[in-house]
Amino acid sequence: MLLVVFLALLFCFQVRTTEVAVVTTFGRYSRSETNAGIYLRLPLPIQKIYKFDKRLQTFERKYEQQFTRDKKSPILSVYVGWHVADPRRFLESFNGDLLKAEQTLENVVRDAKNSVIGNHDFSELISPDPTKVKFDVIEGEMKAAMAATALSAYGVSIDLVGIKELGLPEALTAKVFERMKSEREKLVKKYQGEGNAEADRIRSEAELRRKELIAQAENEAQRILGGAEQEASKHYQTLQQDPELAVFLLSLRSLEGSLKDRSTLILDERTPPFNLLKGDSTSNFPGVRLPANR
Amino acid sequence: MAAPSSGNLRPTNAPVPSDDASSQALNEALGSSLLLVRVLAVVLAAAFVFSCVFTVNPNEVAIILRFGSPVGQGSEQIKTQGLHWAFPYPIDEIVKIQIGESKVIRATSAWYAISPEDEAAGMMPQANPSLAPGVDGHVLTSDGNILHVRATLRYKIENPVAYAFRFSNVTNLLRDTLDNSIHWAAVRYSADAALYKDRVAFRDAIRQRAIELIQRHQVGVTLDTLDVEVAAPAFVKTYFDQVIAAEQDRSRKINEAQGEYDRITREAEGEAKRARDVGLGLSNQLVQAVSADAQFFQQQLVEYRKNPALLRDRLRIAAVSRVLTNAQDKFFQPGRIEELRLNLSREPETPRKREEPMR
Repeated sequence: MLLVVFLALLFCFQVRTTEVAVVTTFGRYSRSETNAGIYLRLPLPIQKIYKFDKRLQTFERKYEQQFTRDKKSPILSVYVGWHVADPRRFLESFNGDLLKAEQTLENVVRDAKNSVIGNHDFSELISPDPTKVKFDVIEGEMKAAMAATALSAYGVSIDLVGIKELGLPEALTAKVFERMKSEREKLVKKYQGEGNAEADRIRSEAELRRKELIAQAENEAQRILGGAEQEASKHYQTLQQDPELAVFLLSLRSLEGSLKDRSTLILDERTPPFNLLKGDSTSNFPGVRLPANR
Repeated sequence: MAAPSSGNLRPTNAPVPSDDASSQALNEALGSSLLLVRVLAVVLAAAFVFSCVFTVNPNEVAIILRFGSPVGQGSEQIKTQGLHWAFPYPIDEIVKIQIGESKVIRATSAWYAISPEDEAAGMMPQANPSLAPGVDGHVLTSDGNILHVRATLRYKIENPVAYAFRFSNVTNLLRDTLDNSIHWAAVRYSADAALYKDRVAFRDAIRQRAIELIQRHQVGVTLDTLDVEVAAPAFVKTYFDQVIAAEQDRSRKINEAQGEYDRITREAEGEAKRARDVGLGLSNQLVQAVSADAQFFQQQLVEYRKNPALLRDRLRIAAVSRVLTNAQDKFFQPGRIEELRLNLSREPETPRKREEPMR
């Protein structure tokens, strides 16, 4: 059993699902194993096995100032996702050292970034119109620019490139702050003016509305009264039978109505029925004939 | 110890009794050693069997790698909670992945420089007139302004195989993805929109972008929650606050005016209703009065035609009586009036106290 284990260790090697392996024979490349499994080998020192992590690696490029086509200078950093696609080339380029690979790839990324950003205006990075922002296009161009070199020269496949940071140099941030300040001050004045103007407008509108409502109601009341007058005129027809009596009756009612509340009367003996106090009961009532039996 | 004599004849070349004893002892020793080996073999076999068994807890899943390759296809690759069996290393390798709890990623590269201790103490960053690249993180907004943004992402593992075997550092990739999403959204929103007016939409834009990138990269996780914080740079924060105050003041003035509008129109509606009611009341009164007059006229007309003067005087006296009864003050001045002084527009009289009934 122990012998079997010993022989297996000597003549077999395992490639994990996260790895790729390169087999060299007396230092010369023999073959690559990119799929997980167990493989045969010749024992050391005849054959040597190099294993690399084939999972997606990410690294971030430094935050650097770039120049756009319209001579603006934002600061930009990108992140790159890559994996070992050609183990032989990768071994020959970096001897399997991931750190060394990333250091070399940094130069590839820098070149790609400079060339791509230089082909775009700043307004394609930030814009009030979202349709003009070309984040994905720029990222795609950077990926394309570095993919060919990375694969052919280093055996590395670039899987993804993204903008990680986008900012401004220190001197420009100071200018932006000054602009932001003045913009805010303008906004404060605008809002103050707008508040007063809008409030005045609403108040004027309220006054107009009030007048309109009351005018409408008064018109309505007049219309109703007009209808009532029309209705009343039918009854006035009745009074036409004897206008003299009608006027007399209306006068009496008017007299009573006008002297109804808090009235002060000054009378003398000529006013009926106070004329009775003088002993004359009929002289002021011409045409009155008392009944004979009285 | 010699064997007991059996009484049978022993061959001449038979071993001497002392040899018998030693071989028997040897046999016994061999027998006991064999037994020990057997017991050991059973123990080793049991240990082997037990070493092949492993458990998966409720908050995790396991993947068995046989000679480095996942065992099974699709969902069969994932061993969920319970007891499972695998060959011992190096044939099989068990990879366990915690999937139950939400994992947290914080993207702070666009946030201002502050230590966790200072932040916990509630301290604000220094209001510097500029931002140092690489120290004070920031984003550019669509209107060319500067803001600070940070996001906290909670996620769960959806595809353990992809999560465990496709990426060397998922945490870094997700953080980069979140940073990208923050800048992607920031360049599409103005500073005011991201800070105040459209905060929800801004947060949703970050979330949508993060989801899209995670799906595009096939990271094997699902977004749980995303918290986004946005802050104005300390140097201009006062001015942002003044804008908010001015906006609130504007809203207050408009609301007050709107309140006045509502009050005035409500009162006007009431006034209008009263005017209508008065009109209606007057019209009813008019119609009723005229109708009553006409009726009264009709009643009196018969008598009037018989003796107009009598009816006129009768009605006049009756009217004068009612007037005199209703009048508040009456002055009777017999003879000629030389001078009469009256106190007009005087205070109204206080109501007289009701007199107690006489007992």
